Amino acid sequence: MAQNLKDTILNPILKGNPISVLVLGICSSLAVTVQLKGALVMAISVTIVTGLSSLVCSLLRNTIPNRVRIIVQLVIVALMVILVDQILKAGESTYAIDKQLSVYIGLIITNCIVMGRIEAFALGNKPIPSLLDGLANGVGYGLILIIVAFFRELLGSGTLLGFRVLPLSYVPNNLVILPPFALILLGCIIWIHRALDKDLQEK
Amino acid sequence: MNTNSNIYTIIYTTVVVVIVAAVLAFVSMKLGPSQEANVKAESLRQMMAAAGIESTDNLYSSKNAEVLDLYAANISKAYTVGLDGIQNGELSIDRSNIELVSGLKAQNKIIKDNKAGKDNKDNKTATLPVYVFNSGVCVIPVYGAGLWGPVWGYIAIEPDFTTIHGAYFDHESETPGLGAKIKDEEWFREKFAGKVIAFGKEEPFCLAKNAEAEGADNAVDAITGATMTSKGLNTALNVWFNAYESHFEKLAKETEPEEGQAEDTVAEDIVTEYIVVENTVAENTVAKNIVEE
Repeated sequence: MAQNLKDTILNPILKGNPISVLVLGICSSLAVTVQLKGALVMAISVTIVTGLSSLVCSLLRNTIPNRVRIIVQLVIVALMVILVDQILKAGESTYAIDKQLSVYIGLIITNCIVMGRIEAFALGNKPIPSLLDGLANGVGYGLILIIVAFFRELLGSGTLLGFRVLPLSYVPNNLVILPPFALILLGCIIWIHRALDKDLQEK
Repeated sequence: MNTNSNIYTIIYTTVVVVIVAAVLAFVSMKLGPSQEANVKAESLRQMMAAAGIESTDNLYSSKNAEVLDLYAANISKAYTVGLDGIQNGELSIDRSNIELVSGLKAQNKIIKDNKAGKDNKDNKTATLPVYVFNSGVCVIPVYGAGLWGPVWGYIAIEPDFTTIHGAYFDHESETPGLGAKIKDEEWFREKFAGKVIAFGKEEPFCLAKNAEAEGADNAVDAITGATMTSKGLNTALNVWFNAYESHFEKLAKETEPEEGQAEDTVAEDIVTEYIVVENTVAENTVAKNIVEE
């Protein structure tokens, strides 16, 4: 059981990473990775949403009528997303980030990772493993987001978390700020990931 | 229990939705005041950025309380005017109770209905806000429809009531990298400073493709790749400038008697010029002396 739990947590971060292996949640990873701060908030938001939705769906898994289970899951995910959005809007320091992330917070609901984990894991497992699975998937997603945002903010603005890192003489690369570069970076991450992990290579 | 029966399904979904709605209503009630405070501070930041009281970066890095302090220290009066240009309300500028006109959308509708000659069903009169800062700069809002959602902004007008001192624009959901440039790009905002609003014309301002090329002082080039956002912003500017026209004409008339003073300053200028000339003569003599030595 302990081994199982460890797998539940580590698998989504490494071997079964939602972005680099399952290629889910690409849309938001292109859109919100211009600044590291936005990516961090997005990562935390998605982690909380996937974790809590998985937990709640797992608690209700034996009562949810099978025919309308997707709708019920959607209502639960929507609830979590709106809660996160409302809390971000109410916080003084998070309000600006919420404005910057704009629609992408609301669009967490359409993030395939959330529904995917509920369907694939939470409906068939106990609440605690489901919670961990949701959280770990959020972390796996967030990890890639943060790696991409790190390079994009560093090369695109010469700053990290708003603080200047590269000297002023560095001319920011405008391509890096545009979404296509995030796709290039993601491709590189997938390449490195597969090169390191032999199990992921197709024969 | 049969979880697949129709009755169970209906009852289950109803209960879930009711619970979710209750939770959301409760949270929205609890967080409402702090969200409103954030929105208000945001509006104040944008107004003060337009009025040039602080740099945009400084305003956005300061806390809400500091923004309120700064506003209270710099505002001289705030009031609302109707479409006839006559003042019809006061806005509190007290630090503990700063009032702003929220709901620009409703105001926009009243202006447009009035223009179209439609009768206002609810008989609402417009309450268009004017914020006058200590520096004499008046800040007015503009509001309109962009491509995906509303666009709005604050325009600061110099004490001559025609020249734009500064501007700040914001939007709800314009495309990042294209329409969102109206907010993100400093050069776009800076273009507005020094432009003149041609009150009296049907279109007092012109934000359009290649508008600057003709050299008009009431024109700013539209943003490439953001045609619809630019058009929307252009409409917003013109509709709202028209709405404020009567008020600013009235203000301009009220300040006319001060023209006598203006002449005085001209006279003073001539005197200073004369002194300058004298000085140059003196300098020339000194220079000559040096050469001679």
